[in-house]
Amino acid sequence: MQNWNRMKNISGYIFSVVLLVLLPVMAAGQDTLRSIGPRIGLDLSRFAYLFFDPAERGAELSLDMEIVRSLYPVVEVGFSSLRETEDQFDYAMSGAYGRVGADYNILQHADRTVYHTVTVGGRYGVARFQHRAENVTIPSGYWGDYLLESHEYSLTGHWLELVGAVKAEIFTNFFMGWSLRYRILLNPDMDPLFAPLIVPGYGRGAQNRAIGFTYSVYYKIPLYKK
Amino acid sequence: MKNGLLLFLALALITACATQEICNNDNQSELVARFKTEGELGTVDTTLAAVSVHGIRPGLPDSLIYLNEPLSSMVLPLNPNGDFSIFVIEVDGLSDTLRINHRTEYYLISYTCGFAALFTLETLEHTSRMIRDTRIIQAEIDAELEQNEEHIWIYF
Repeated sequence: MQNWNRMKNISGYIFSVVLLVLLPVMAAGQDTLRSIGPRIGLDLSRFAYLFFDPAERGAELSLDMEIVRSLYPVVEVGFSSLRETEDQFDYAMSGAYGRVGADYNILQHADRTVYHTVTVGGRYGVARFQHRAENVTIPSGYWGDYLLESHEYSLTGHWLELVGAVKAEIFTNFFMGWSLRYRILLNPDMDPLFAPLIVPGYGRGAQNRAIGFTYSVYYKIPLYKK
Repeated sequence: MKNGLLLFLALALITACATQEICNNDNQSELVARFKTEGELGTVDTTLAAVSVHGIRPGLPDSLIYLNEPLSSMVLPLNPNGDFSIFVIEVDGLSDTLRINHRTEYYLISYTCGFAALFTLETLEHTSRMIRDTRIIQAEIDAELEQNEEHIWIYF
């Protein structure tokens, strides 16, 4: 009996020691699990475009996910349309666009459960859209004005962009952030008659280089932890 | 976050300012014809004392562009409705007809300023009461006329 009690004491001791050794490891494992999942964003700055001249209607969504530590592949999609009535013609444009690329987080935290990021990245963008000029008048006081036939073209625009961005987690899984983009249009001569007023997702079609800006809110779907 | 908003507002202002544009010209694409004469010293500029010019406008009455003016060159609006423009030039009771054959295309100056004609001169035809010869100097004519720009020479 004495031996039995002694063995119980020894086994209890061993269990305690094992637990003592394992607990910090288990506890540390729980603290450093990183929440991973797709993050969906809505660009709020697009709504400010409604107050520009001409007013541009549109919306843009983004989807990114940290597939390996600090690397976020990104897809952004949106649509855009505008109408403008000038003295000599009416103009309309509508279309959709997408961008694919990746962001790399240069802000390294010791704590793996901190998700604020400062990223640099790149995108390839493509827009499919139509633009149309109607009631185009070529003025001639002497010979009489010439009314040009309506000009309508389906266009594809391609561009590359460099992206710098900041995202902060304001509540668990909710983020806000902005990005600044430098864009290079790859096919500025997409329309032989005239450059589109706006290439959706890019900016002014007459400019081979453009600056872009987004101000977005995001929600990360916490799919799993690792 | 506050800085982000400020940057956004600054960018919005810059973009809004960039869309403001002033259109200085009237979108007329005009030809400049300089008068020349062949002398002992070669080809030199010449001035005619009293020149009247009007265009032949189908369906429209004659309308003078110049009336008895001393000219060494003239600025003529070309016809955006067709591929040629015809002018009658009168000096001292004599008149010649000048037909300018051109290709007519159109281009956008800017979204604010609108479209204009882009003419490319092809050939010149003329009667020969006063005019001895003609020559194309610069074939392309757009709505932005530069100082000292000249498109054709007319030899008297």
